[in-house]
Amino acid sequence: MTENESKRGMKVLGVTLLIMALLVAPHEGEFWPFSIYPMFSQAGNPWTRAMVLDVTGYDTEEIWQQRTNEDFIGDPIAVREYGVDEIDFANYVSKTENWTDNRREALRIMFGLQNFEENKWLVVKAHGHLAGKDSVAVDIIPWILLTKDGTELNPNINAAEYMKGGDR
Amino acid sequence: MNWYEKIGHQLFEPNRDQSPGELIFFKIFELFVLIYTIKYAWEWGIYTELRNTEVVLPLGIANYIDISIFFDWNLALINAAVITLLSVIAFARMGLNWFYMAVMVLLHIQYVARFSQGEIPHSMNLIGMSVLCFAIGSIWFPDKKQMPRFVIGSTIFFIGLGYTSAFFAKLIGTGINWFDGRHLWLWISEKSIDVYSTIGYYEPNFLQELALNHLPVASLILLIGWLTELIGFTMWWKKIRPYTTMMLIGMHVGITLTMNIRFDAFVMQLILIGFPWYLLIDRFVKSTPKWIEKMV
Repeated sequence: MTENESKRGMKVLGVTLLIMALLVAPHEGEFWPFSIYPMFSQAGNPWTRAMVLDVTGYDTEEIWQQRTNEDFIGDPIAVREYGVDEIDFANYVSKTENWTDNRREALRIMFGLQNFEENKWLVVKAHGHLAGKDSVAVDIIPWILLTKDGTELNPNINAAEYMKGGDR
Repeated sequence: MNWYEKIGHQLFEPNRDQSPGELIFFKIFELFVLIYTIKYAWEWGIYTELRNTEVVLPLGIANYIDISIFFDWNLALINAAVITLLSVIAFARMGLNWFYMAVMVLLHIQYVARFSQGEIPHSMNLIGMSVLCFAIGSIWFPDKKQMPRFVIGSTIFFIGLGYTSAFFAKLIGTGINWFDGRHLWLWISEKSIDVYSTIGYYEPNFLQELALNHLPVASLILLIGWLTELIGFTMWWKKIRPYTTMMLIGMHVGITLTMNIRFDAFVMQLILIGFPWYLLIDRFVKSTPKWIEKMV
């Protein structure tokens, strides 16, 4: 590479940077593969994830009780073993605003209906936040029960929270 | 010589002669990018075909076209097949100059189709940027004396820029208190749920225990990582590059240990691009094999 080609290389990089700026600016910093890498940029915010717990054998009262990450009941299901990406699953649960019959049934289909012939699986939301000045609290909120007959919503949660979002 | 010409000198090294080691290393790097391109194209395509049913978060070009058409009719798999074909032909230099650019566009479509479900992962960005550098290089610097220098130099440029950009995104997004250790506590607890969900159990490791039990340790971990991101752009200077690279690799090891987030392709690419491997190859190889010369 010559001196002139090196200068030309920098000009090409400059144009590419300009195109990158034009693409990421109106798209919240993301236009793959361009990115301003904003991951973890907003620190300290509460978060919501999701997991599935095998609650076969537990009674109804135990199942619907809100708990924490230190005393939740049931064995966590490894969703990857069912071909489901855990991040996509968490987003599906935490970002769905209207839990229509189809959205609820999609959860059973996601893991395969045959799994619910004998098992009861509980989809929970995990909500983490700073508690006071020196600790983090993680609430485990029972959300939807998957059974062989279909799905059940948590009777302790206002039905309105399953439609149009809600606070959880 | 002005400032950007000086940076160009560091990235493209115009006064250095091309050696067999450089050409061999260049093809090894290109092979690495090719393998990951094909791997991602198929992984994303298969997942899109099997799992995606509706668009939760439109990214990139999905803001302007209905990307859900790629969820049916095997379009994502057909796209993966076309990406594979074009990238292999481009690697062998048997096609046209714009083949890598076509791969770039199709890979973008594949990414936005796969990741339309709400999460924006970044672990594949460096491979994407490398494909882009190959695309630009093969169109504007196609000569075998130019292309290796441009592709490697521009890839280093964007890697360094990306890390420094991440530093400023945090500074702007949160402020100077970003490195407050309690933020790390929140992320560790968040990722613990992901780990439960992924493999069914979770045990904090030694470093996580240490960070969770001692706030200053947690803050120090974040501060070191954050400052390492800041100096990412120093990769542009060839003498500093190996040291910056080692710090960045160390940062990624730290992220894996504290937050269970792995950036395998990132780290492998850093190892490849951050050190002058051509010098080592030149010790053992005195002439460039013909088949490599044909494919540069």
